[in-house]
Amino acid sequence: MPPRSGGRGAGRGAAKGAKGAKGKKVFYRRRKVCKFCADKIDYVDYKDVKLLQQFIPERSKILPRRISGTCARHQRLLQQGIKRARHLALIPFATD
Amino acid sequence: MRTYELVFVVDPRVSDEEVVELTGEYKQMLTGGGLVIAREESWGRRKLAFPIHKLTEGKYVVLYLSSEDGTRTLADVEHRMNQNDKVLRYLSVRTDLDLKRAGRPQLPEPIGEGTPAVAGERAAEGGRSGREE
Repeated sequence: MPPRSGGRGAGRGAAKGAKGAKGKKVFYRRRKVCKFCADKIDYVDYKDVKLLQQFIPERSKILPRRISGTCARHQRLLQQGIKRARHLALIPFATD
Repeated sequence: MRTYELVFVVDPRVSDEEVVELTGEYKQMLTGGGLVIAREESWGRRKLAFPIHKLTEGKYVVLYLSSEDGTRTLADVEHRMNQNDKVLRYLSVRTDLDLKRAGRPQLPEPIGEGTPAVAGERAAEGGRSGREE
C-alpha cells in the first residue's frame, strides 16, 4: 500500500514546533518540501503514471497541497497532469 | 516551432495490424497537413484505470509532432478520431511552451517508426526524465 505517505516531501530536519518552556508538550513537525522543487521537475508529464500515482491516495482524489507540501506552482502543474492522465484512463477518477 | 503530443487509445479487440493501419492513416493526414512526426510510440495493450464502454483494456499509441506554424490538421484528425468508434480516447497537447519553460528538449529523440511496444516505452521514459526507477 504505497499511497498516503507517498506524497510527503522527503524533507528532513529543520524542525518546526513550539519548544515547551514550562514542560508543555514538545512536538516537532517534519518540514514538508515540495517534491518537484526538490527533484527539479518542472514539467509534469501526464504519461508518467509512477510519478502521478504518488499524489493520488486510495480514494484517487488529488492529494491536497497542505498534506503533500507541494508548492502552488507545482501543484498546478500536477493537477493538470493528473487530469490529462485521467482522461486517458491511465489513472482512475475515483475508487471506492 | 510548435510541438504536440497526440495520444489515442484503441479498442483492444482491434488487431495490432489494424492499429498500425489506423495509425498510418492518421499519420498520413498529419504529414499531409504539414506536421512532422518526430517520434512514434506504441505502448501496446494496457489496462485501463476504469472501464470505457465496458472494456477494461486499451491499446495506446503516442505520436510526437512538430510544425513550423500553427495547424488546423490536428483538429481534423481529432474530429476523425471522435467519429471512429474504435478510438476510445484521444488527447492532443501542445508541449513546446511547457517544455521550454522547464528547460527540456522540445523534441524527443526520434526512434525508428513502429518500434516494439516495450522497448519504445522504456526508451521513452529513460529519455524523458533522467531519473529512472
